Amino acid sequence: MVAALKLVGVRKSFDGFLALDDADFAANTGEVHALLGENGAGKSSLMNVAAGLYTAEAGRLFVDGEEVVLSGPRDAMACRIGMVHQEFKLVKPFTVAENVLLANWRGRFAPGVREVERQITTQAAELGFAIDPRSRVDELSIAERQRVEIIKVLLAGARILILDEPTAVLTDEEAVRLLTTVRTLAARGAAVVLVTHKLGEVTAFTDRVTVMRNGRAVAVLDSRSTTANELTQLAVGTTVAQPRRASSPPGAPVMTVKGLRAARADGHVTVTDATFHVRAGEIYGIAGVGGNGQTELVEALTGVRAPLAGSVELDGTGDTTGSPAEALRDLGVASIPADRFGYGLAGGLSVADNFCVGQMHKGCYGTWLRTDSAAMRKATGRAVGEFDVQGVRNLRQKAALLSGGNAQKLIIAREFSRDPKVIIAHSPSRGLDVRACAAVQERLLSARAGGAAIVLISDDLDEVLNLSDRIGVMTRGRIAAEFAAPADRQAVGRVMVHHA
Amino acid sequence: MLEQAAHPAPPPLSLTVGRAHALRFGRINLEVRQSIPAWRQALILAGAVITGMAISAALLIAAGVKPRALLDEFVVETLTDSENLHSILFQAAPLIFVGVGAAVAFRVRFWNLGIEGQMIWGGIAATFVAFYEIGPPVARLPLMMLSAVLGGMAWIMVPTWLRLRLRVNEIITTLLLNYVALNFLLHLVYGPWLDPKDAFPHSPQFHSYERLPEIGWGLSSALVMALVFTALAAWLVQSTRFGFYTRFVHDNPRMALAVGVPIKAVMLISVLLSGGLSALAGFVIATAQEGRLTQSFFEGYGFSGILIAFLARNNPIAAMIVAVLVAVLFVSGRSLQVFCQIPFAMVQLIQAIIVICVAASEFLMRHRLHWVR
Repeated sequence: MVAALKLVGVRKSFDGFLALDDADFAANTGEVHALLGENGAGKSSLMNVAAGLYTAEAGRLFVDGEEVVLSGPRDAMACRIGMVHQEFKLVKPFTVAENVLLANWRGRFAPGVREVERQITTQAAELGFAIDPRSRVDELSIAERQRVEIIKVLLAGARILILDEPTAVLTDEEAVRLLTTVRTLAARGAAVVLVTHKLGEVTAFTDRVTVMRNGRAVAVLDSRSTTANELTQLAVGTTVAQPRRASSPPGAPVMTVKGLRAARADGHVTVTDATFHVRAGEIYGIAGVGGNGQTELVEALTGVRAPLAGSVELDGTGDTTGSPAEALRDLGVASIPADRFGYGLAGGLSVADNFCVGQMHKGCYGTWLRTDSAAMRKATGRAVGEFDVQGVRNLRQKAALLSGGNAQKLIIAREFSRDPKVIIAHSPSRGLDVRACAAVQERLLSARAGGAAIVLISDDLDEVLNLSDRIGVMTRGRIAAEFAAPADRQAVGRVMVHHA
Repeated sequence: MLEQAAHPAPPPLSLTVGRAHALRFGRINLEVRQSIPAWRQALILAGAVITGMAISAALLIAAGVKPRALLDEFVVETLTDSENLHSILFQAAPLIFVGVGAAVAFRVRFWNLGIEGQMIWGGIAATFVAFYEIGPPVARLPLMMLSAVLGGMAWIMVPTWLRLRLRVNEIITTLLLNYVALNFLLHLVYGPWLDPKDAFPHSPQFHSYERLPEIGWGLSSALVMALVFTALAAWLVQSTRFGFYTRFVHDNPRMALAVGVPIKAVMLISVLLSGGLSALAGFVIATAQEGRLTQSFFEGYGFSGILIAFLARNNPIAAMIVAVLVAVLFVSGRSLQVFCQIPFAMVQLIQAIIVICVAASEFLMRHRLHWVR
């Protein structure tokens, strides 16, 4: 059988860094082919070559056995290769139909819009979901936007469909729906490439899997006859032990939240009545479907947003409701935000600056009149080693150049190196590969062993279940139910869905 | 139908297009650079400035200036004529103040377009002290300077307060307040402060002790002041904790807030400094150049300040150097105006062309181009 899409010996480097080193890949018509690997293994780069976005320095590309040279995404589209990127390429104030039209122009505008609207409706129905072609993209949820992207490439005639980490932004349920849709597409004769680092998706929803490591394809396997362990070993090189929570008696309550109420910037109240407490040496997990007030709760707890009502009390300090971030940090509250480069790091500044900014006001790095850059570099160098932040070639290097996992490690280094009493961690392992994820969770557990009180807010239910001593389920801005570990996954899931 | 059957199915169009295109012409591939060495950055910047100057020269020649005259005015006269050199350094002082002033505000992403308004208030506040003869003659000049700084700071507080409290965009408010300041200035120089001696719209001449003195070699103490303030600003933004914090406010204010940087205070201090420095530009023009408050002493400095800060990438030391170059342009432009009947707007056009070239060169600093076959 001739492969629908085949890449042979692809090499690509970025500014001296070899991202792809003689990588091979082949996907057949009618199959869902997983492309598995850690962050930075070269999955996305390889697929960007296939989609005509990157020009490889070496290597050949075959579509249905014929060699092609792509000069850009337009050529790829002509070869019927379509890619849905991790960051959606949609014009937000445009409607769904206008976005689709923009990607594949047809004749005159007004009749084109009508025709496209009709096609979108039919295509959506075929894939098993409904979408209003006239709604504006910025009114749609993330999952809906992703569907628009898929329809967009399908209507442009794509028969080879590349999905780059499609489930990273979705909830469990949405992910299952998407993967079911993907299977439907393959059954109808498309070749689907699913770029992912989630092992569960590979074994449950794909036919074959290509595993990449360090810019090369290291194995091609039948997804059904492989195990998660085998895949991890191939992707990582060694097996990664899942962090385990040692049992230890918790101490006294450190942070007590009562009837907290907070609103988004637009005035919409998303945290309605949050009440919970967390004790020393304990991880309090907050599970819930994203968008139930988690973000605003985190902001209120870390002093970025002033709550409308309710109280937050810290052990030994008393009422700290509405204190600004500076004050809370001095009282020992540390924060690991979900949006790493939005709230955690200043990407344009150096690793050393980003590490030292948290303690600068204490005078650790010089006086008001003079910052001591030698002391800054020394402290940062030590922390980078201690917290295993990799990819730091130079402490003056911009933080934006760090990969997701290392950026997170840098944030953790800054927040944990001052022995915090309370840690607010929001989706700390989102988007990280197996190894980085384990490292981050390990850090949380060792902070817990050291007596810190940790609030872990995460969309990833498994993470919450694995790490937490107690679990609160957040729905519609309140803690709807609490469970003690070990909690029943089904029971927690039911509360998440039913109260939502 | 028949015709189609007679030929074998043609291959998809784009394949042949893609291949032929790639073989015959190759194409330029764009890559985002991760880092760029300083020498290459300097090289690109120099290339941009030279390109801008070449375009400007072409425009001036097209406008009827002889190439010979261009060379004379911009190069020979500047370097050899000591009087010209003096007027350039004289001209540089207020330009340094506005350039550094703009840079300080831009470093915290406060877009101060009200430099001229703050200059006007600097001038008014200084003249106020002189006009009402406040303080003994010995302390007069320092009092005028202090008054000017406070005047500029007070004027910039209005848009700052609106921005920090009510999130009103400062681009609009600073710009529009310029007109308010201008009209108040006109009111003063046509009304209560009108010079009774000649009835022209300017304030009475300052006393000699109200004027910035010369310090020898024909240099004004205004230039010394400008250099001292530049050094102070450079130290402040590069070595102090305040400077460290401004970098965070510039790069990611949301993150800065979350990690406990006092962003409002940092912003307030930066903006007040900007207003004070701009006011000092007004002060030195009034006390060193004109010797009185006139109705148009501030003209063109607002735009030049923004441009200097932009070209200097908000670095005070670089702003000082760029300000001297802009002063060359100002002075040469004025003599071109006299000798070749070139409108002064041409000087602003040249400034704009150089800015556009430098702005465009940013693309080459961020990306690497290479030829793919």
